[in-house]
This record gives sequence, C-alpha cells and structure tokens, in this order.
Amino acid sequence: MSQIHRRIRRQARILRMLATLLLAAAAVPSTARAQDIDDRVRQLEEQVAELRGLLEARENADLAEIRRQIEAITTEIEMLRLGTDLVRAERSRFGFGPAASKVYSSPHGVSLGGYGETLYENFSAEREDGSPSSARDQLDVLRAIVYAGYKFDDRFLFNSEIEFEHASTGSAGSASIEFAYLDYLFSDRAGIRAGLVLLPLGFLNELHEPTTWLGTERPVVESRIIPSTWRESGIGVFAEFDGLEIRGFLVNGLDAVGGGSSEAGGFSSAGIRGGRQKGSKAVAEDFGFAARADYSGVPGLSFGLSGYIGESGQGAENPLRPGEELGVRTLIAEGHAAYKANGWDLRALAASADISDVAALNTVRGLVGSESVGERLTGWYVHAGFDVLRSVDTRVELIPYVRYESVNTQADVPLGFSADPANDLEIWTIGAAVRPIPRIVLKADYQLQSNQARTGVNQFDLSLGYIF
Amino acid sequence: MTNRRNGATGALCAACLLFSAGALRPVPASGQVLLTQDEALRLAFPGFVEVERRTAFLGEVERARVADLAGSKASGALVTYYVGRTPDGPVGVAYFDVHRVRTLPEVLMVVVTPTGRIDRIEILRFAEPREYMAPAGWLELFEDHGLVGDLANKNTVAWITGATLTSRAVTDAVRRVLAVHEILDPLGDGTQ
Repeated sequence: MSQIHRRIRRQARILRMLATLLLAAAAVPSTARAQDIDDRVRQLEEQVAELRGLLEARENADLAEIRRQIEAITTEIEMLRLGTDLVRAERSRFGFGPAASKVYSSPHGVSLGGYGETLYENFSAEREDGSPSSARDQLDVLRAIVYAGYKFDDRFLFNSEIEFEHASTGSAGSASIEFAYLDYLFSDRAGIRAGLVLLPLGFLNELHEPTTWLGTERPVVESRIIPSTWRESGIGVFAEFDGLEIRGFLVNGLDAVGGGSSEAGGFSSAGIRGGRQKGSKAVAEDFGFAARADYSGVPGLSFGLSGYIGESGQGAENPLRPGEELGVRTLIAEGHAAYKANGWDLRALAASADISDVAALNTVRGLVGSESVGERLTGWYVHAGFDVLRSVDTRVELIPYVRYESVNTQADVPLGFSADPANDLEIWTIGAAVRPIPRIVLKADYQLQSNQARTGVNQFDLSLGYIF
Repeated sequence: MTNRRNGATGALCAACLLFSAGALRPVPASGQVLLTQDEALRLAFPGFVEVERRTAFLGEVERARVADLAGSKASGALVTYYVGRTPDGPVGVAYFDVHRVRTLPEVLMVVVTPTGRIDRIEILRFAEPREYMAPAGWLELFEDHGLVGDLANKNTVAWITGATLTSRAVTDAVRRVLAVHEILDPLGDGTQ
C-alpha cells in the first residue's frame, strides 16, 4: 500500500513540475503558444484530478479492507475470550448441520458429535375411503448417529457420519456410513472435498439434524424426488463469499436398473430413491454432477437453486435398441427459499425430476401398467412455524407449525403405461415442536394424507430428537 | 385390542405432556456451558429486536477512568457489545464479561437499559464447583441498579453466604460493565 502511495505521490510531483515549467514557458508572449499552453495545463489539471481520484478510491478501498480485517480480528478475540464452545456452538458450515460442522471449528485433532431420533407413529384404522388401513402402530429408534472428525492441520480435515438405523444391524436395521470425506481448505471459506459425500440438493439432504427442521417426518418431496439421504462417492468444491454459498460435486450416477453390485433396487413408480448406490460397491459406468447456489446476504432470509444431471443406466443394455446402452438421463431441478428470524421458521421448496428412456427401463425392470417409473416427477411444499414463547422470558421454544405438500411421482409416464393414482398425493401436517434447549426437540403432529386413489392413511406422530 | 391401543396412545401422550410441562419450566443447565452466546442474546432481546454487534477501543485514559468508576482493576482495551433495537429505538446493550472467580473463569452477560440501569444478568459459563455459583434470585437483586448511587456502595447487594468470592466477582463485573457503559455511551445520547 505504501509503495503505491509513494508512486502516486512521485507522479503527482512530476506533474506539478511539468505544470510549473509549462506555466513559465507561457510567459513568452505568443497567442498561439498561449492557447497550446492553456490546453496543456487543462490536460495536466485533469490528469492531476484523475490521479487524486485514484488515490482517494484506493484509500477508501484500503479503509474498507482495514475495517473488514478489524472486524475479523475482534470476532476472533471475542471467541478466544469467551470460548469457541460458547460462541460457535450453533454454527453450521458448508451446508451441514451444527453437529456435523464441529470439525470445522475444532482447533485441531479429534471432534465428536452426533444426533438421534425416535419416532412413534399411530396410524388411523381406516383409509381415506373408509376401508381398513391394516397399518400397525410403530415405535422406532429411527436413527442414532455419531459424527467423527479429525483436523490434521489448518488445511486438511476428515469428517464422517456413522449411522445406525432402527436400533439394529439385523434385518430391520442397518449400520452405514452416510458420509466420509477429506477436505482441503484453500481458506476458511473455500475448499475441495473428496470421498463419500452428501449431494447438495434441497434443504434436508445435507442438513437433516432433527432440531433444525419442523415435522416428525421428512417431507415426501425430499424423500422420493430428492432421495434424502443421498450420498455417493465423488469429488467437488465448496465456497462461501459474502452471503453466497456454492457447492458442486462429480459423483457416481444413480442405478436406475438395480440388481448390480451396490444392491441398489432401481427406480420405481414411487420415485428414484431406489437408485441410490450409497458408496457401497457402486456401479460406476455413469457419473452425475450435482450443484447448488444459495444466497443468504439478508439476515434470516436465504434462497437458492440446486440440481443434478447424469445418466442412470449404468451400462445396462437397451432392450428396445439392442447393442446400445441404456441411457436413462436423470435431471433433477429444485428451488427453495427460507426465512428464519424473529421467531418465524418459514420454508418453501419445489422440485422436479425428468427421466429419459423410461419405456426401455420399464422393460428391463419388468414393470407393466401403472408400475411404470415416472418420466416426470413433481412436488413442492411450504411450511410455517412460529415460536410463541419468543417474547417470554425463557430459553424454551414452542413452535406450532403447519406444512402442506403435494407430490406426484408419475406426473408423466410413457405411452402404453398408466399412472397409479396413489402416487399423486397431498399431505397436510399440523403440529408443534418444543425445544427446551436448542439441542433437544420434542415434536408432535398429525398428518392428513390423501391421494387420487383415496387410499391415504392419516397418522399421529411423536418424535424425540437430539444433537450434540 | 382397541382399548389397549388407546391406552398405550394415552400413556404416550401423557408422557409427552409431562415432558413438555417439565420443559416449560426454567431449565437448570448442566455442563460447563450454561448458555451459548446466541441463547443469551435471545434472552436479552426477546421479541422483534434487531441486535447489532459493535466494537470499541479504550485508550489508557479511558481505561483508567473505567477502573476508577468500577473501583477495581481496569478492563481490557477492546470492548465488544451488542445493541438491541426496535423501530421505536434502542432497548438495551448487552456486554459479556470474563473474569476469574477463584482460580477458574466465569462468563456473564450483563444487559444495561438505555438509562444505564441493570436489566438482567445471565451466567454463560461457570467453571468453579456448582455449589459456588450465584443463584438466579441473587442476580436479580442487581436489576434496576445503576453505577451512580446505590451500586457505588459495594454492600448494597448483600453477598451470598458461603460464596464470598463469587459475590465479589459478580459485583466487580457488574460495576466494571456499568463503568464501561458510562465511558462508552454506546447509544450516543448521553442519557445515562
């Protein structure tokens, strides 16, 4: 900075000397020459003014940079004085939930975190049309998760999520790795990631800790169209700048056919969830690319877009074009917006998936009639919650909420196939969440489920969740 | 069968209600961090209040004046504080004070009203044995006290029996915060 100042001052001195010499020359009586000198002086004055403007602009830019640096330093000092656990306990990084982000605020070495959810479902005895539902009530330790991370140094870190589902590794449950990756951080705000990664789509695929969203069950849109929790192996980049966050990953593609080494079940009339390979001996004949961009420059408000494109045939032969590979190009597009401030928790999300070669895929999978995979899947939801204790002198949050969603996993099917009306559904969810402290939540809600086949079954749910 | 099902559902609902009822009472926090900074600020400024983080630097002269007003050792040169505002104007200023009780640290949030009186005090971290921690009822005794007048006398708020060091540490911290507030005049209107 001082070199630039010196250079600009030196140039200004030279210009002043030139101006003095020219003014001295102007003392020679000659009208034409005087005119030339006037022009020249005007030019020099303009150049001096321009240089002065440049100098001031530079000083303003330097001042803004100094202010930014002071802000960063004072924030760091405050954190050191109060303690990182006290200041950064709730901080999410790079799309992950607060517990999954622990390794990023860890100074070095091992970090541990986790979350869990227990869900009680009480089903109505009757379906929408009055026929018996035969659904049996269930109480399930849905998930118990351990996050384990290790910060090698300021640049390299490892982060992982080990998940036990349904409290068992027997036939009813499973133990799996939801993510396990290495990051190289270019700076505190950007890096490159490789390993088993969560795809950056929608609200919940990356950020699904139970205290961070409303509802006892995840929205169907973020289960059947965005197949949360969707993780695949790959590599990508992530960055944050001034309210803008971006992430993009190249990963192995979905397996629409199924039955391969990864034991993916393949796409179905209910959606693309069965195509996930989960990093387990994934067939890697086809790859996909997922990316998102979010803007959260206004406090409390965020909005963004995400998408995925890739072929999902994974080398299977196209039965309608012998000798050719089955493509099954899968394109998922999603947009979302959220407002979380002043006690409000508002969200809206819309997603669609377009799938090609569905007729051939149905043939390979032996699907007929209304069993067809959808060529187009659409869905959206909105929810609203408000902390009614916001103005009360307590740490407790009590948030009544309502959610509406509409999903159709067979919005379009190929010629010769039909849509199952049961896959065109609407769900109203009305309930409340209590957070005695921010890391524990109890939720209760009632879901009114309806579909075009009138086979919807209402249910009352209770869930208990925690993060640490 | 149906009756049994209803009974089980009722029991679960009752458990849920009991849990909620318990949760709605003030929660005694456990562990070293009793409140995070975010939680404390939410308590300081409930409702529709915007919170602005500010930083101030105290020179030697200002630090000496703070020490003089507080009647204890000088505070640090860097002061970070949080101003809560509604469309009607400022509602208070929250300061976070870190100090030692005996050998281990305590972090307090002290909220000062626009008129320079104590609005509330919260303990965010208390590392000494829990039996020495100041009870909430004792902290409430500071509310509506200011630096000039009543708090000038250190015995205005009676010290906690058996926890003299805690009493002294909290009282010193409150006086230090009020002194900093007096010197900084963070709301800029000189009302205090």
